[in-house]
Amino acid sequence: MQLFDRSGLSRIETHIEKVRKATRKWLEIENLHLQKAIKKTVVEGLFSEQDIQHQLKVLRENLENGDIQEWVKRSGLNDQNNAKDKKVLCLHAGNLPLVGFQTALGTILSGADYHGKLSRKDPYLLGAFLEEIREAGLEQEAQFSTDLNSFRNLQVDKVVFAGSQESVPEVKEEIANISAAKKDAEYIIRTAKFSIAYLDEWDEEVKEMLVEAMLRYGGKGCRSVAVVVSKFGLDEVKEELKASVQNYWKENPQHKNPTPDLKYQYAYNEGIKRNQLWLEDFLIQRTEEMPETDFAVNWVKGDEGKVRELRMKFGELVQSVYTMGETIESLKTEPLASAQKPPMWWKPDGMDVVKELIKKE
Amino acid sequence: MIPSDIIFEDDLSFEEKALKIFELQRQNNPVYQRFCKALEISKPSTLSEIPLLPIQAFKDAEVINALENSKFKIQNLEFYSSGTSGMERSGHYVSDPDIYRQSIVSGMRHFYDLDEYAIWAYTPGYNDNPNSSLIWMLNTLIEREKSGLSAFLELGKPLDETAIREIKESGKKLMLFGAAFGLMDILENHPVQLPENTVIIETGGMKTHRREITKEELHKQLAGGFGLPQSHIHSEYGMTELLSQAYAQGSLWFECVPWMKVSIRNPEAPMQKVRNGEEGLIGVMDLANLHSCSFILTGDRGIQRKDGKFQVLGRWNPQNLRGCNFLIDQD
Repeated sequence: MQLFDRSGLSRIETHIEKVRKATRKWLEIENLHLQKAIKKTVVEGLFSEQDIQHQLKVLRENLENGDIQEWVKRSGLNDQNNAKDKKVLCLHAGNLPLVGFQTALGTILSGADYHGKLSRKDPYLLGAFLEEIREAGLEQEAQFSTDLNSFRNLQVDKVVFAGSQESVPEVKEEIANISAAKKDAEYIIRTAKFSIAYLDEWDEEVKEMLVEAMLRYGGKGCRSVAVVVSKFGLDEVKEELKASVQNYWKENPQHKNPTPDLKYQYAYNEGIKRNQLWLEDFLIQRTEEMPETDFAVNWVKGDEGKVRELRMKFGELVQSVYTMGETIESLKTEPLASAQKPPMWWKPDGMDVVKELIKKE
Repeated sequence: MIPSDIIFEDDLSFEEKALKIFELQRQNNPVYQRFCKALEISKPSTLSEIPLLPIQAFKDAEVINALENSKFKIQNLEFYSSGTSGMERSGHYVSDPDIYRQSIVSGMRHFYDLDEYAIWAYTPGYNDNPNSSLIWMLNTLIEREKSGLSAFLELGKPLDETAIREIKESGKKLMLFGAAFGLMDILENHPVQLPENTVIIETGGMKTHRREITKEELHKQLAGGFGLPQSHIHSEYGMTELLSQAYAQGSLWFECVPWMKVSIRNPEAPMQKVRNGEEGLIGVMDLANLHSCSFILTGDRGIQRKDGKFQVLGRWNPQNLRGCNFLIDQD
């Protein structure tokens, strides 16, 4: 049986509408809390204003496009199928602005009680969103803190975080030490680290999209392109690419500088005569190896077969494979243009967080 | 040109020798020359100013002292790392095998009274694997030991108890080399008690398709299985790219020969050493690599203590660098 409120909406529809309105309010350009959060984030040097504004602009566009409703539809969330009465602890990483927003929004949409460990490296922006959620009069809890100890004895049903297989034992141990999760709690772990772009053409549009996909957030985050497979070699487009990167940096100055190991990698490439484009704060190098260095992109000359081969070789570390619209047999692809402006319902590690939280045990 | 003798002599300090060899290699090794030029390093005055070449270079290029346009490019020996299928192998071109020979023998003498030992190698034989630097090393040790008691052993066969008795009766001690998993195979399939003055030297190879155990556990099991005190289970730290070795005698701490130095480097800034006890990448200066490159940044993770001894903790895993990671201590 469905319950309806006075507006004729079902209970879940009311809930979704409240979440949508709270998100919209938070994103309003005049919102003083958001303005304050942006200012504090920039003044404290956590992220560049350009990266923050880019992220917020994408969220505004997505919201107006009806992404929340689309997400509800895709996940199968409804009055019968939701995570009401479940407790979820989200451990948010803080290496790019609002990286945890999608997990927080998904958890709240699912109807679960949200408990968010905000990153000390990005506490204000997500905090401002969660304040709006608190004021929206939702039935569920929305608690957050930057101190893990605040979640002591919480006994949550699920824990969501991004990390690597190596980091899992340490995180689980910390959670166990403070009894934040039930003994049999489910851990939803995201391990993807980077994305691959496949280019079979080269023009102004491709170049701009590629540069944005490689350089936004300094190339950090799993949606950023760290491997390019192209039908042409790096040598053929090096000079044009260099000019495009420099133009991009005029509008979006690089916020953080690479550590000295990047120059070391450049010197190594010189040593072994590996083709590369050295940009002082960024490196594009011709190699098929696993991308391991921050601020570096690996360029491989190859066709669709090479994309498949690398996708398989890098396995769970790959988030997405982008193309200019072509499909690649046996691979899921996304448009390169969406690399740094994904829809709200995008799937980190191929997993829909709402669907994952509402699934029956 | 630098005479190879200076590597092993005490007339000069390690730093003086290293600075001379740096200059030789910067001028004559094209890979190292380009590497140093890109780092804008030409005249270091201390060891810490010498850049360490990433070990990957031995896979990606020929690391040898001979200008590319020179006709003088003698390659008497070529060593290759073992590698598994599909893996690119490292290659080390050794222009002067005598330096390697001297490094092996003098290195062993630094740690052991070599003449007291008969050498057994539970590894593939020299003819099966002439391009393995480890097998070449063991062959050198076996050939120089003239009693006739030293040998490569046949893999998969039990240790010959009569031969063990003969060694004991000859007054020699047994030194048994083998990869970790090979030695464990002996214990599993053909257990045998060795004379109590035997020394076992495991040469790595901790991971196999069948098992993965810690080094501490391995040493415990080897000692128990062969009936030896744990102090008699030693380890060797060596690799294709190095012509010198470090040894750990009865503990997990390795010590270098005098012409080799290890330091632990910051992976984000490889010119910097980390503090004692902190984890980082193992950097090696091996002066015996006179004709290739003596200054190498390995891909191994290690820690070092004040007296210079170091532990090898496994491979460095850089996967935390990219993407979004929740890091307990930072987030």
